[in-house]
Amino acid sequence: MTVLPLPVVPGLDAGLHPALASHKSGGRDLWSPPLPEAPDDPVAATWDALGEVLDPEIPISLPELGLIYGVEHVRGRVHVRLTFTATACPCMEFIREDVTDRLERESWIRAVEIEEVWSPPWTAERITPEGRAKLRALGVSA
Amino acid sequence: MTLDPKNLGPEDRTALIRLVLTLADSKRLMGIRYSDWLLGAPSVETGIATSSMAQDEWGHARLLYAMLKELDVDPEPIEHDRQASEYASVAALDEEAPDWAALVAMMALADAAIATVLGSFAEGAFETARSRVPKMLAEERFHASLAAAWFRRLAASEGEARPLLERAVERMLPGLLAWAGADDESARRLVDAGVIASADERLTVFRDGVRDLLAEIDVDVDAVEPDADWDVERGRTGGQPAEEAVARARGDLNRALFVE
Repeated sequence: MTVLPLPVVPGLDAGLHPALASHKSGGRDLWSPPLPEAPDDPVAATWDALGEVLDPEIPISLPELGLIYGVEHVRGRVHVRLTFTATACPCMEFIREDVTDRLERESWIRAVEIEEVWSPPWTAERITPEGRAKLRALGVSA
Repeated sequence: MTLDPKNLGPEDRTALIRLVLTLADSKRLMGIRYSDWLLGAPSVETGIATSSMAQDEWGHARLLYAMLKELDVDPEPIEHDRQASEYASVAALDEEAPDWAALVAMMALADAAIATVLGSFAEGAFETARSRVPKMLAEERFHASLAAAWFRRLAASEGEARPLLERAVERMLPGLLAWAGADDESARRLVDAGVIASADERLTVFRDGVRDLLAEIDVDVDAVEPDADWDVERGRTGGQPAEEAVARARGDLNRALFVE
């Protein structure tokens, strides 16, 4: 049986807003290289790293979307308290994997624990002003 | 007051497991009943809403089944291996809605009954319910809004829609009253432990929530008696969900795709 190659569509992203251009899962193509050494403030550095992880459906970061409820760092072990926009969010596994992969790039992080939390319930009120501005630029009201 | 599941006696623990199962199974079946109408709803917009509600219900079921872990019960076989006769879902969802009016009745009454018990659970002593259920209830607000709009629309119709709605309500309301106001030994244990409100309080909340809607089809919810056919083991009225629906709930056709 002959398997035909998938058609290639040249310039797929042409004309789209730059933020909407194709990104790898979680914005991997935008992720910074790992820090060369352990930071003085590992919690702040963890927040910075999470700030590079994009939501799979809209190109703003998880902290901007208000999905990160807390970060703790104890001797190389990072504990992230994460919620989702909906109880049946179809991207839960993608998001968990993106968070873990981004944080595990850092040599000063030995282990990543993700705690799924639902309290307080996420609402659009949790989107940060920066996140709101990006969404507005994309024509999304929030 | 916060209840530590580790300190529960065996009978209270069994009662709490039964409550979680009745809620989780009902959510799963509610999702299936919405999904039955994804392509049959009266408008594209309503079909999309039905799809979203099905998705919500399965998200709620997922969180509820996961609560069983805290009671030392593995949710995996509960979700994927049980027979229809073991399901504890509310009887109003046993069969596919035969017409759109019946689905509207399920939406307005069965979903509301489940939300009533969940609301009580969210305010009780079981911390896991207190933290997880409010998000479910926030999502349920949209279901209630759509249900009320459709219920009123069908109630005001002059064609065959209103009689279909009346028959669906007549079929399911007594069972829902019995379910929302469950008052057997298992339910009373949970009331005593502060996990849920009393049967009277739950019934009052449910009746208050649907009274005005039902008045639109001249049904006085205060005059309807709860179904007396009660199965103490499963915490529901008699019967069982359709085998075909349970096969979908278990994921029988997807069994080869199950991954850890």
